Amino acid sequence: MTTPTIEQNQIKNLDTNTNNVSPSRRNFLKNLSLAGGGLMVGLPLNACASGQLPSSTDDALQPNALLQITSDNKINFYVPRSEMGQGIYTGLTTIVAEELDINPKAINIIHASAHEDYNNPEYGMQITGGSTSVRTHFLPLRHLAANTRLVLRQAASQQLNLDLASITTDNGKVIVNGKALPYGDFANFANTLDFPENAALKDKSQFKYMGKMAPRLDGMDKSTGTAEFGIDVDFEGLYRTALKRSPVFGGTVKSFDSKQAESMPGVKAVVKIHNGVAVVAEHYYQAKNALTALKVEWDLPETLSKFSSDSTDSDNGKGMFVTALNSDDSTNSFEQGNGLDGLESSDSVITGEYWAPYLAHSTMEPMNCTAKIDGDKMEIWVGTQAPNISKLTAAFHADIDPDNVTVNSKYLGGGFGRRSGTDFVAEAAAIAKVSGLPVQLVWSREDDIQNDLYRPASLARFQVGLNQQGLIDTWTVKRSGPQIMPYTLDTMIDAMLPSFLPNAMVDWLSKRGYGIFNSLTVDHTSVEGLYEDYDAVNKSSDHVTADPGVPLGYWRAVGHSFSGFFKESMMDEIAISQKQDAVEYRLKNLTKNPKLANTLKVAAEKAGWKKPLPKGHFHGVAAHSSFNSHVTQIAEVSVTNNQLKIHKIVCVVDCGLAINPGIVQAQMESGIIYGLSAALSGEITFKDGVVQQSNFHDYPALRMNETPEIEVIIVDSDDAPTGVGEPGLPPVAAAVANAIYAATGKRLRSLPLKLS
Amino acid sequence: MISFELNGKTVQVDAAPDTPLLWTVRDHLNLKGSKFGCGMGLCGSCSMLVDGESTRTCILPLSAVQGRNVTTIEGIGNPQMLSTLQQAWVDTSVAQCGYCQSGQLVSATALLAKNNNPTDEQIEQAMSGNICRCGTYPDIKKAIKSAAKELRSGNGRLQTVEYFNPKTATAQEV
Repeated sequence: MTTPTIEQNQIKNLDTNTNNVSPSRRNFLKNLSLAGGGLMVGLPLNACASGQLPSSTDDALQPNALLQITSDNKINFYVPRSEMGQGIYTGLTTIVAEELDINPKAINIIHASAHEDYNNPEYGMQITGGSTSVRTHFLPLRHLAANTRLVLRQAASQQLNLDLASITTDNGKVIVNGKALPYGDFANFANTLDFPENAALKDKSQFKYMGKMAPRLDGMDKSTGTAEFGIDVDFEGLYRTALKRSPVFGGTVKSFDSKQAESMPGVKAVVKIHNGVAVVAEHYYQAKNALTALKVEWDLPETLSKFSSDSTDSDNGKGMFVTALNSDDSTNSFEQGNGLDGLESSDSVITGEYWAPYLAHSTMEPMNCTAKIDGDKMEIWVGTQAPNISKLTAAFHADIDPDNVTVNSKYLGGGFGRRSGTDFVAEAAAIAKVSGLPVQLVWSREDDIQNDLYRPASLARFQVGLNQQGLIDTWTVKRSGPQIMPYTLDTMIDAMLPSFLPNAMVDWLSKRGYGIFNSLTVDHTSVEGLYEDYDAVNKSSDHVTADPGVPLGYWRAVGHSFSGFFKESMMDEIAISQKQDAVEYRLKNLTKNPKLANTLKVAAEKAGWKKPLPKGHFHGVAAHSSFNSHVTQIAEVSVTNNQLKIHKIVCVVDCGLAINPGIVQAQMESGIIYGLSAALSGEITFKDGVVQQSNFHDYPALRMNETPEIEVIIVDSDDAPTGVGEPGLPPVAAAVANAIYAATGKRLRSLPLKLS
Repeated sequence: MISFELNGKTVQVDAAPDTPLLWTVRDHLNLKGSKFGCGMGLCGSCSMLVDGESTRTCILPLSAVQGRNVTTIEGIGNPQMLSTLQQAWVDTSVAQCGYCQSGQLVSATALLAKNNNPTDEQIEQAMSGNICRCGTYPDIKKAIKSAAKELRSGNGRLQTVEYFNPKTATAQEV
């Protein structure tokens, strides 16, 4: 893939165009559909674009912003990606430790602040997401650590006047004539040498830490209540705040009466901000209580206020999606061979239509952010997948120069994509600005479920053509629904538009701008996973936008969260229509995707596919490639008196080299359980634009007593690591739905799966 | 002024009697290990031991614990002195995001205090009030079983800082 060459002036064009074309640049952007991921942005990992390193100290060897060895022998690793449960804190540290030759436990791990030196190499901005972290940092971190180890040996060689070849290392020590000296002893001298570029990397056979089982490095903090999450931040003089928002997203405050609220215990201030009215109080529960006494009149948004999920109108509820799907107004996102025309020469055509609803993330830690303004300076404390965007967002809403904003990154109490949004940072910054008080904004669970950036609802129709042998020759799909990218842009655009556009944002916009100006009008996340996996001479993928105006964001596995269910249910229907075994039929159509085919074979063997099961138990299979990894899952279920019980899920994953196999296994289990919650009960619905769910009683999450046995098998691989945070999720709903079909003969084509 | 035993130490709090215990402990007493998750007693993130029972403190008013014995995650063990369950949690790498784990450990401690040889079903029942969105349930189950085994062998300890002596301000092992 080539890197698009985008000059900065195109960004200025974007800015100018948005102002010229429409009085409302927000709407202009919302109406655009932008190209999604996949474009690589080159990033120098040993160089610092801005000169000064964000973490520099005088008395240390510091090749770049990520690694620092001090003369008193602290090995500091500024972990560039956010730890939200996926284990990156341990994973990236293990990679560094391997090539630096030191036990990962001896490394002092520090959450990176907001700085372009911590950008995600793939996105060119400081984002944790897309299951990219290990994949994109694997080689750069190994080179960084290997070169650091080499320069320490060079320093020892020169200082002690010994042959370089005679100097080795062992677990954080330079070994000289049988004597072990700490790395720190050579840090300052090493710092005066030219940093090497070509140190050899270890061979897999030499690995001490990568690929081995080892406890997580954040396990102690997280088993003793000492891990500090955003919500745990506290300091003298900090006030708590709670915010009353419009019942329909996008509404604004028409008027409010705060008299009663102001007189309630602990209340310090009641302030209006861009999207609501906030109470600032001494304690959180005081702020929350006072919210109930606040009277607010709203100006509601026109479009979303008309949207009701249970409407049967053709321009409302699911009807809106059906109408769009049936329209001719679609945009092609992918075509191969004869595309849709291929169907004309197929021997037979199988059709299937599938639905997936809006979903909330419901991370365990509700959204929160702490903001403190001191003159022209500001500090924020937040668990975020996007520290630098958080900085820009806070700067914009508090009207402070971004260079004067400090971001303190905290552990994330769950991310799943939700914390790549910065809406809560905007609120905290605005409340701190208007009230003039240092505040910690804490969302209630109700705030969280009713003000999410939701997984887009989607409807898709497949038309699959088969040849005389019953093999797939034409695979076509059309999807209707809203697109994420315009909303992501929309929530960030305020922070982006000021003239001081920072480099990270310019890089990012330039990439998206590439999409805007090249008419690539389908956000890849709208269609990803719908058409790629199976062989077909002819393929086409089309998209039609249907959008009631519900705010959207990235939800674990993004497009694959629905396309895995759609595609693998369709595949099951095709196999059954051909009276063929579901595993064997898939294999016949997977000649170009050998890794996915292999996971299918292994899973079938491990699960005892086609072997006798306990009476009343049935298997269902699903296989899906996503985030460069390949996963097959086989569900074992029974249905008694219309009650579904899932007994077991066998999961086989090929994610290249598993840096920490225990974490890979945990991420597969995590993806399966998160996916099962959605598959069995996840559904956000609307009545006149208002979200109908509010807490865990009506938006349930799977509990331990509902969780099936899960067996995870990791395919042994010498290839570079690929994604694990998300790929475990996409197959699970289809594996269960396909097993339900085997058990009952009922084909469930909508999520969540309802037996009656 | 309401007083109760917190992690073996008598505390007095000047807060409204209807203040939820969770927020009293987090905001007034500055112990941040217990978490806010739902505010409705549905998720278990806020669990503390109240007279030995795993209790949802986001809906428990402060007035209800007058004179009672409350234990938070900080009173179960600490990084210097882990309880057997905490050690099993670390060894099994149970935690993912970690946010719900204080509550999970409190419920697991209450379970093993009553039954040091629980069946799978008993574990599932005892832990069903604690939601984990990361899906750490398989590892929680594994860790509880390994800790239970340790306890049955007589080597384990459910709480390492049960007897907190405020005079010497040092934690003493049970």
